[in-house]
Amino acid sequence: MTLRPLILAGLMAATLAGCATQPSNPRDPLEPMNRAVYRFNDAADRAVAKPVAKAYHSVTPLPVRIAVNNFFDNLRDVYSAVSNTLRADPERALNDTMRVAMNSTFGLFGLIDIATPAGLKDNKNTLGDTFASWGWKQSNYLVLPLMGPSTVRDGTGFGIVAAMTPERNLYHSPAAANVATGLNLVSKREQLLGLEEVLDNAALDPYAYTRDAYLQVRDKSLGIAPPKNEDDDLSIDAIMGTTPPEPGKADASAPRAKAALPDASAAK
Amino acid sequence: MKIMKKILACLTLMLGIVLPAAAGDSPVDLVRDTSRQVLDTLKQDNGKNTGKIRDQVEALVVPKFDFKRMTALALGKNWRVASPEQQNDLAVQFQTLLVRTYSSTMTRFKTAQVDVKPSANFSANGQEASVHSDITLPNSNDKKTVSVDYILYKTSQGWRVYNINVEGASLVTVYRNQFDADIRASGIDGLIKSLKDKNSGKGA
Repeated sequence: MTLRPLILAGLMAATLAGCATQPSNPRDPLEPMNRAVYRFNDAADRAVAKPVAKAYHSVTPLPVRIAVNNFFDNLRDVYSAVSNTLRADPERALNDTMRVAMNSTFGLFGLIDIATPAGLKDNKNTLGDTFASWGWKQSNYLVLPLMGPSTVRDGTGFGIVAAMTPERNLYHSPAAANVATGLNLVSKREQLLGLEEVLDNAALDPYAYTRDAYLQVRDKSLGIAPPKNEDDDLSIDAIMGTTPPEPGKADASAPRAKAALPDASAAK
Repeated sequence: MKIMKKILACLTLMLGIVLPAAAGDSPVDLVRDTSRQVLDTLKQDNGKNTGKIRDQVEALVVPKFDFKRMTALALGKNWRVASPEQQNDLAVQFQTLLVRTYSSTMTRFKTAQVDVKPSANFSANGQEASVHSDITLPNSNDKKTVSVDYILYKTSQGWRVYNINVEGASLVTVYRNQFDADIRASGIDGLIKSLKDKNSGKGA
């Protein structure tokens, strides 16, 4: 797998990299390296991944793209079953195993997802989730080459799976496996088409925007509270409470002032 | 990648599918009614009238937000050191940024299905409410639903939205570190200038 050396190099760099000067997010001590990888990913995306994904989108009809997505989704269910087993979650592990069993047989080798409508929930877990359930909750931000936003914890899990490449047994030759890896990436990228413009429009600093949104979502998906810094403790009323009254903004200022008083005292 | 997709997909929904007309008093009704109106409007898009549809949706949605409160939330403690004039400038520029961002992609959501949960979570003595919704895009090969929470507060004119969480990520506080970096580098006025440059297409 061509990704492997890149990922291993990234992980090594992650462990070796020293302290950055004043990171803009306390959970991003590797910011200089992450930014470099981000720039690389961005350039690779514009030069290769996006055009390829566009071509893929225009030559393949939606049912085919759904089937391709389902196929790789089914493989991810295999990993998910293993991860859930490792984190001692038999119920979910069984759920994932049943999904794989149904989709691989009645679902024609995973091309059709019949498990979801049949009531088997799609609750994928990764090795990163397993590490988190073992106690590795907080993890710093890490941008993986080609794969994008991650954390040191999730990247480690990903690196381990990538290094073992268990799914290569499915394919007859290394060439077929590489095609499959590429198709998987293209399929994922195709789903993101058009959204990169949103990021370009929305963000003052696309790197920071991606990082902060990713960390918020990842924390939420693991059910862990984000680390507190003094700024996060401020309720909206505490932020606005000291605002000088605004003349001319009749609609908001009056009720806001009223709402602010009880809440500021209640929140602390 | 998948997570980013979710975030971005729903970022774009932010202006697309939102809130209350002066209708009922319940924040849920208001979220649901406005979502419905927005989707109905988006469905009239035929590729030629996109500009008009956008204007209509903006007219529907923008009054339901309190952009000043949003901007304050995005700035955090820095809001308190800004002068009233700076606060006004920031709110105007932030509003422009958000509207510009999300209105440019809203038509891709015309087939979205929005399921607004019937009960809101109230806090702060009933002055604040959080309304949950699940959004599905039928015409995509990734058929997962995305959870979107609208955070509202009560004003004399009815409920207003000032925060939106998509899969746990706030579309507002996600700006806090970026704003903070600008303010540390060049002060509040520096941030206002960045936002202005961004909004006039000169880049940040």
